[in-house]
Amino acid sequence: MTVSVNLLGSQREAAQASRIQIPLDRMMRVADVFAYVQEKYPGLSLDQTMVMITVNQSVSSLERILKADDEVSFIPHIGGG
Amino acid sequence: MNILQSIEYNPFSIKGGYSDHILNIDLDTKSILPQKLPPDFKDKFIGGRGYALKLIWDGTTGQTRYDSPENILVMAGGPLCGDPRFPGSGKFIVGTISPLSDTFIDSNIGGHFAPLLKLCGFDALAVSGISDKDVILVIDGDKGTISIAEAPLFGDPDDSGGISYGERLLENYCDSNVDENTAAVTAGIGSCNTRFGIVNSLFYDPRRQRIRTKQAGRGGTGTVMRYKGLRAVIVHSTLSRVKANNPDNMAGVKRSGANLKKLVSQLDSRQLNLGSWGTTGLVEYMNNFHILPVNNFQYGRHEKAEETFAGVFLNRYFNKELPDGCYPGCNLACAKGAEDITLTSGPMEGRKVGIDGPEYETIAAVTCMGIFDPQFVMEYNWYCDEYGLDTISMGVTTSFLMECFQRGYLTLEQTGYDLTWGNMESAGRLLHETAKGIGFGMICGQGVKRAKQWVAEKYAAKTGSDCDEVMKALSAFAMEVKGLEFSMYVTKESLAQQGGYGFALKGPQHDEAWLIFIDQVHREIPTFKMKAEALKWFPLIRTWFNAVGLCKLPWIDVRHPDAAQTDNPAQNLPTLAWYVEYLNSTTGSKKALQDVLNDSERLQLLQKLINLRQGKGTRGNDQIPLRAIGPAFLNEYESRAEYYDEWLREQVGEDNGIPADMEGRHALIMDLRQKAYHKLCDSVYEEKGYTSDAVPLPDTLKRFDLWDEKVESVIKLFSGPEKKQGVDL
Repeated sequence: MTVSVNLLGSQREAAQASRIQIPLDRMMRVADVFAYVQEKYPGLSLDQTMVMITVNQSVSSLERILKADDEVSFIPHIGGG
Repeated sequence: MNILQSIEYNPFSIKGGYSDHILNIDLDTKSILPQKLPPDFKDKFIGGRGYALKLIWDGTTGQTRYDSPENILVMAGGPLCGDPRFPGSGKFIVGTISPLSDTFIDSNIGGHFAPLLKLCGFDALAVSGISDKDVILVIDGDKGTISIAEAPLFGDPDDSGGISYGERLLENYCDSNVDENTAAVTAGIGSCNTRFGIVNSLFYDPRRQRIRTKQAGRGGTGTVMRYKGLRAVIVHSTLSRVKANNPDNMAGVKRSGANLKKLVSQLDSRQLNLGSWGTTGLVEYMNNFHILPVNNFQYGRHEKAEETFAGVFLNRYFNKELPDGCYPGCNLACAKGAEDITLTSGPMEGRKVGIDGPEYETIAAVTCMGIFDPQFVMEYNWYCDEYGLDTISMGVTTSFLMECFQRGYLTLEQTGYDLTWGNMESAGRLLHETAKGIGFGMICGQGVKRAKQWVAEKYAAKTGSDCDEVMKALSAFAMEVKGLEFSMYVTKESLAQQGGYGFALKGPQHDEAWLIFIDQVHREIPTFKMKAEALKWFPLIRTWFNAVGLCKLPWIDVRHPDAAQTDNPAQNLPTLAWYVEYLNSTTGSKKALQDVLNDSERLQLLQKLINLRQGKGTRGNDQIPLRAIGPAFLNEYESRAEYYDEWLREQVGEDNGIPADMEGRHALIMDLRQKAYHKLCDSVYEEKGYTSDAVPLPDTLKRFDLWDEKVESVIKLFSGPEKKQGVDL
């Protein structure tokens, strides 16, 4: 069982991948996924204050417990030009 | 050059961002009149859009239309435009009575024009009257001359293009040595033949070594310019930009600008990456969240959207080596462009051109037509700029006509060709016809509102249907409010953004409010009260930028890390503090953010008064098409049935009579959505100090020192028992 991290925009360019599959551990939280991506992909320069975290396209906290096939994204803040 | 009228003058000096003078041009009489403004004019009306609002409120009447001689075309920057030590200071607005909406529009535009106009000694240019022949205006601050000349002709096809003509004009004026000290505004042939003509702002880019363009895109300001017979305006000054505003506190200007530049340089590449991608990066995010308009806003996502993501434009078109920008000193530098692109279609096929853009809105205007070809996007961008057409209005009107064609309201006999989704050949052909005012392009060039009327009348006559019923059917997917076409965001799932478009005083342009993410994705404003507060606050600050001559992107699209610790991170208050510091350091004021918001609210109320006077200011004028509210047709519901069924369960509960059939669920969703929008209207009007019919209360107007006999006479027209116009709950 896995969860996936969808990479958009400059994250996709930096990681050279549009999706990262991560094996799902029991009681895995969004924070665990965030830390995993930070460590494995330092080029993304992930910073919690710089992104909005979504799970299945809805904003989420870092404490949320993930389920199989959940999709996590780290979206930059968009204010609308 | 055949000079028709000319004066000599001493350019007025600037202090604290203002010269306190405007330049009045009457094209009826060819008179040139510099005017000193009363001392308190800037205190009340700030600059930029505020000056345009006041001049038009005073100089026009409720009967004024875009083609009336007394209509005024105003170009104005503001006290903060021009200083390269602060990012985004190359902005101005073009304001007038719009050919689309019949009320006030201001459209913001980048480049060197307004900073140079200020160096020539003027806070604003106000053009009234209609010339008997095409003319140009030349303002030369070095020579101390202002001239009206017969518009020169250089030989077809350059004469008809907004870009080509402007390039020839500048080269001619500067003896082929164009540099950053001379700029121009022009309007192309499309402005003569449509209601959505643009004003091009041309400036020299020494890095690209060519003339580049930005556009005042919305509302038909270019149409007004060409109707008046004004072909172009040239401004020239070699005075220093750095000292241009003569600020009250130089150290404060430097500090606030340096702080913002540091933030942008550190964080933009880790956020939206505007410096590399421009606004093309937004396509991917909008597509991800079902916000990218496809097939006339029916859908918000498409499998082919990836072909128009930022990387495609960066790798195939943009010059990666050059930092870009529309004005010196802005390190966000998001004004991307491409060099030596060979046009593969249209009347200029084979020509190599430089293309400035595309912005997100232009790409989305193309996806709205069901087209996902990046070469088409680039060529559409260039042709629209050259012809002088708003890429948004052109795309949305084409999309509307495509849907009319495919739903059977239009025939092949009427259009001349197959208007189906994704048909690039037809879309291109319609673009060229629209610019030239021929064929079916004559209908397209009227914009959605008037094209809808034409389609309805023709269809009703052909089928014997009731015309009003046909109009109602078409209105469900005619994406316009107050006569202006929607800009490029699908609002179905964001009630706040539905309001952002519906309540926008100029019509559905997102420069007043862009609340989609904090509403639809963040869910930060779940209640009507919270949405109403956002729909008051954000328009106030967003339109303030248009009053002072600044670009809002360094504020709104580069998030300060400390914003997360504030009560409302989306307001990005730590960055706004630098803007207030820049304001006070330039003008010598001692304003707090609330004072800035109050200044902007005064201008919003003045614009509301103009709307009321023009018959566009009440609740009925704030209503939006069904498609903007939800899945207007069954196919839209079916495309996201699981999502919509879940939404319905959240709204009414599992056990509360959700219809078993799809049609029933669809109808219930639309009924709930419409009721929610009306409830939002009530909340917003209360928040803004209006009646339930969207008319400002006298106390609201008095609080902002706007109450006088003229204002009272307008408000009296709407006083009496409160009524809700056009609302049928």
